[in-house]
Amino acid sequence: MSDAEAAVRVILERAAQRFQASRQELFVSMDRLFSFLMVGQWAFALVLAATVSPWAWAGKEKTVHPHVWAALVLGALLSSMPIALAWLRPGWVVTRHVIAAAQMLWSALLIHLSGGRIETHFHVFGSLGILAGYRDWPVLVTATLVVAVEHFIRGIAWPESVYGIVNPEWWRFLEHAFWVVFAVVFLGVLSRRGVREMQALAERGAELEALAEGEWRRTSVVERAAS
Amino acid sequence: MTVSEEMTPPPVTRVGQRFLVIALAVWVAALTGGFFALWRYKAAATDADAEPSARWPADSTLRPAAGRATLVLFAHPRCPCTHASVTELARLVERTNGSLAVRVAVVRPADVPADWDDTELVARAGAIPGATVSWDDEGVEAARFGASASGHALVYDREGRRIFSGGLTSSRGHEGESFGSKRILSMLTTGVADRADAPVFGCALAVAAMPAEEDTR
Repeated sequence: MSDAEAAVRVILERAAQRFQASRQELFVSMDRLFSFLMVGQWAFALVLAATVSPWAWAGKEKTVHPHVWAALVLGALLSSMPIALAWLRPGWVVTRHVIAAAQMLWSALLIHLSGGRIETHFHVFGSLGILAGYRDWPVLVTATLVVAVEHFIRGIAWPESVYGIVNPEWWRFLEHAFWVVFAVVFLGVLSRRGVREMQALAERGAELEALAEGEWRRTSVVERAAS
Repeated sequence: MTVSEEMTPPPVTRVGQRFLVIALAVWVAALTGGFFALWRYKAAATDADAEPSARWPADSTLRPAAGRATLVLFAHPRCPCTHASVTELARLVERTNGSLAVRVAVVRPADVPADWDDTELVARAGAIPGATVSWDDEGVEAARFGASASGHALVYDREGRRIFSGGLTSSRGHEGESFGSKRILSMLTTGVADRADAPVFGCALAVAAMPAEEDTR
């Protein structure tokens, strides 16, 4: 192996290490970011339930509305696993997929708690945008699958709650999924582009590091010769 | 140790791996159960205590509109589920272009404070163009019309015959398309619909007991 080939190999190894390090750093920081978001969403759900539907009524008798229990118990359950994994196993591949699944289920829960308000459906697309911050397209696939499965099961069990009619056409499922897929495809492309940029930066960093080391060695030799 | 190694979580032991798999399985099962319970609650219609009146009750203090169909919505002023019904009613009124008169009857139980029914829901119902809000003390009108749940809408044609009875939402307190609204719209525009009813999702009303002879069906 020539000196040039050896130098290139060293630079490539360093570039790979730099890339892995920066990617892992990104995964960890995103996991931690989502752990805070999970707490925030839980607090928001509690406020939403307490504001929109605090009581269920029968005449003048009132009881705590099931939405309050859903926000309290289901919300805590939903956030618990992502938070635990984000702090105990940050950067682990399972952690970010659990977070993606939980985030999309948070959309479903918030839509229920807000009474199906159309504005709350934007949470789905906002969540996909934040998940794209991982720059890891399989995370977006997990998120899409969770939305699709939630819609599919509910569409079979209680079609009127999803489509407003009892016997929807089979393609209504695709109509609802289309906009999510539309967003995910482009976010996935942008994620891959982001990963390539990270690779390019890692390579440049490794090259600069090697150049700086070469310069140091050369200077040291000259100085040693002068002395 | 490199930065990458510092960031990478330590490898999971066999015991740890088993614990994680069990914890994840329990988490998924608990979430599935929780969401199923929520969906079931949302999809459970309120049981009707009475048969809706087939004709506009002659002794009602509510007056039907002349020359067009009239919708009567019975509302519990504090029922959170009925907010979605009022939203859907507003959308329905917008789509019917004045062919539907609207009466909203706010049911007041006995022995409640004077401001008990001074709620945002009542204000929103009153803001629907052309809607008339009236107070139904102790649910006398609700009993006459045969409504026992908040969000129950009854539509009568210009001759006073009932053409629809049911809710305006697809599930409990959930906005969006519903077959109730679609059927009313179909009845008003084409004179026919696949059904003349829809499930009602709302809080139970405090309805007065009606003497049998007052039945106007």
